[in-house]
Amino acid sequence: MQIQKTIDGSLRILDLKNIDDQLGPYCMSFGFNPSLLIQSIEQVGLTNSPMMVEDKQGRVTVITGYRRIQVIRSLGWTKIPCRIIGESEISPLECLCLNLYDNLATRKLNDVEKGMVLNRLLLWVPRSEIMDHYMPLLGLPSHEPMLNLFTRMERELNKDVKEYIAQGHLSMQSVRSLIDMKPESRLLVFTLMSTLKLNINQQTQLFEYLDDLTHIKNMTLPELLGDPPVGRICSDSHMNTPQKAKALLSYLRNMRFPTLTDAERVFKKRLSGLGLPKGVKVDAPPYFERPGYCLQVSFKDGKELKNKIEQLSRIQGVEDLVDPWKKQI
Amino acid sequence: MEKTDLTGNLTIKKIVVEEEAQGRPITDRILKRLSGIPIEWGQESGSKYDGLDSGKETLHLLSFKGEFLKPCPGTREYYICCGYQILNVATNCPLDCSYCILQSYFNHPNLRIFVNLEQELDKVMQIIDSEPEKIFRIGTGEFTDSLAVDSITCWSDLLAPEFSRRKNAVLEFKTKTVEIDRLIASGYRDRLIVSWSLNSPYITAREEHKAPSIEKRLKAARRCQEEGFILGFHFDPLIPHPQWKDEYIRTLELLDKYIDPKGIIWISFGSFRFMPGLKQIIRRRHPETCVLDGEFIQGIDGKMRYFKPIRIDLYSFMREKLDKWYSDLGLYLCMESDDVWEASMGWSPGNSKGLSNYLDNRVKSIFG
Repeated sequence: MQIQKTIDGSLRILDLKNIDDQLGPYCMSFGFNPSLLIQSIEQVGLTNSPMMVEDKQGRVTVITGYRRIQVIRSLGWTKIPCRIIGESEISPLECLCLNLYDNLATRKLNDVEKGMVLNRLLLWVPRSEIMDHYMPLLGLPSHEPMLNLFTRMERELNKDVKEYIAQGHLSMQSVRSLIDMKPESRLLVFTLMSTLKLNINQQTQLFEYLDDLTHIKNMTLPELLGDPPVGRICSDSHMNTPQKAKALLSYLRNMRFPTLTDAERVFKKRLSGLGLPKGVKVDAPPYFERPGYCLQVSFKDGKELKNKIEQLSRIQGVEDLVDPWKKQI
Repeated sequence: MEKTDLTGNLTIKKIVVEEEAQGRPITDRILKRLSGIPIEWGQESGSKYDGLDSGKETLHLLSFKGEFLKPCPGTREYYICCGYQILNVATNCPLDCSYCILQSYFNHPNLRIFVNLEQELDKVMQIIDSEPEKIFRIGTGEFTDSLAVDSITCWSDLLAPEFSRRKNAVLEFKTKTVEIDRLIASGYRDRLIVSWSLNSPYITAREEHKAPSIEKRLKAARRCQEEGFILGFHFDPLIPHPQWKDEYIRTLELLDKYIDPKGIIWISFGSFRFMPGLKQIIRRRHPETCVLDGEFIQGIDGKMRYFKPIRIDLYSFMREKLDKWYSDLGLYLCMESDDVWEASMGWSPGNSKGLSNYLDNRVKSIFG
């Protein structure tokens, strides 16, 4: 669809109390920080009037400028100049596209707003056209699962979660996992993630552990997260937030990988039992998969190196160091 | 809608015939055998986002543009590969095992049959004949089940005579089905191996959807053995699960009940491994599965595999039990490291070349 005509509308001063405070059907604004816009309007005034569509009864609906109206309201203005278009002059889809292109030309939409765009477009445009035309416009891969993800995100998640998404704190993978959860579980997991301020990698780990553990242990998420150690970690006043996040993930990892984490513990214990000289480190390969361990010696000169090598050669039991799942001689 | 039962639970509801497949003898044969099934002429419709479920019931006939004979896609760095070759007759499978790697391996979900096999087989045979000193261990069961649709494709009619007269090649039909009638009726035995993928009855019942039970498979294997075929078995993927030792023993007891171990060329073990992307597909398609429950780590080849001592435990257990049954079974590990070989099998071929030689020698000792 193309808007081929120039739409200016007639300029009119409207009383702000006659403009609906809620986001109308054509706007897609979510989780924005108004400070820059406030500063701009305070310094130079309103340079670009909002655009409204007016029905036969004289009721107006915002097409563009929702954020400007909100800021002006917060600044205590009572009236605002607007460009008014009669509803016979413009179709709902044109209103929607006006808003979309107006936004795209000036800023990047966040993911929640992209979901809003898609949901609103779905009222007027076939899915295939949305995938072919509008999803690339929004910088999204054009396929059905992605369309579903974004529209469900906007429809099904609550305001807190959406704000977290709009702020860029959640990966799309995490969003997908949250959407697929039951509301009770979603709330629990989101609260945990946001309270512990998990970064994207930690979120991925958390979801993997939770997904696997609920299957393996045949437990629901509330049952799993209701486990007393989880509560103890979260309420431990001796740990700061990043430490709690690490402790929680470590607890879940132990539960998910008992053999691996046990091997890591045994390896660490055996090493510490050797009493390696200071500046000498033994590393295991990732997951003990590749055979061979790595010895690292830090030294300031040849004399110190020789000294450390001699100390190493005198360590009792070093020759018994074996893979942690094997019994030591 | 018309549909055709293949074997028990297997059904074909639609046939897609691409332009270049039209008029080929295999195409005509298949269409004749499946008369009454709706046919879609021309290019495949749908995308990779269309379901695997409907793909399993869509027989797609096309001309394959690539090489028909290619090395098994084993990663040779670090993990020891047997040097097997794949005769690429089809892709995807009408069975629906939850752990199947083909779910993420191919872009197209349909059961794709390469109907130009007949014309391309000469080239394959030329390759084999050009290296008379080399032993070609070839199978059709890596990208599909070798026999699941043999009753309609008649692959065995075409392949058995060609391989039976070669002295430097063997052809392995690897299956989970009991579709052996056509192969038996072919009359050819030499240089042919019929092998079955086996698992514990627990895994078979829970995870190998649409596949016959272990007992039915072994009954079919016994019939093949009685008919003079050399047999192979593949415990791949081995999957630890509740009471897995007792469960695998049940399968070994059935093996003992039905099969004479002297007629077995090899038995392989492999533990469940998969590219990370498969996990989501399995979760979505098989939400009740237990195959993802194990302790998987990312291997050196990027695939997820069980933490090493778990793999060693699985293989050691199976090796010990099978060694007690018969000492010359040609046991080997699929895609494992030298240290895992040593720890679980008590020896190691050292590298891929060593394993290849070991299996070539099995071929020579059995077939001469």
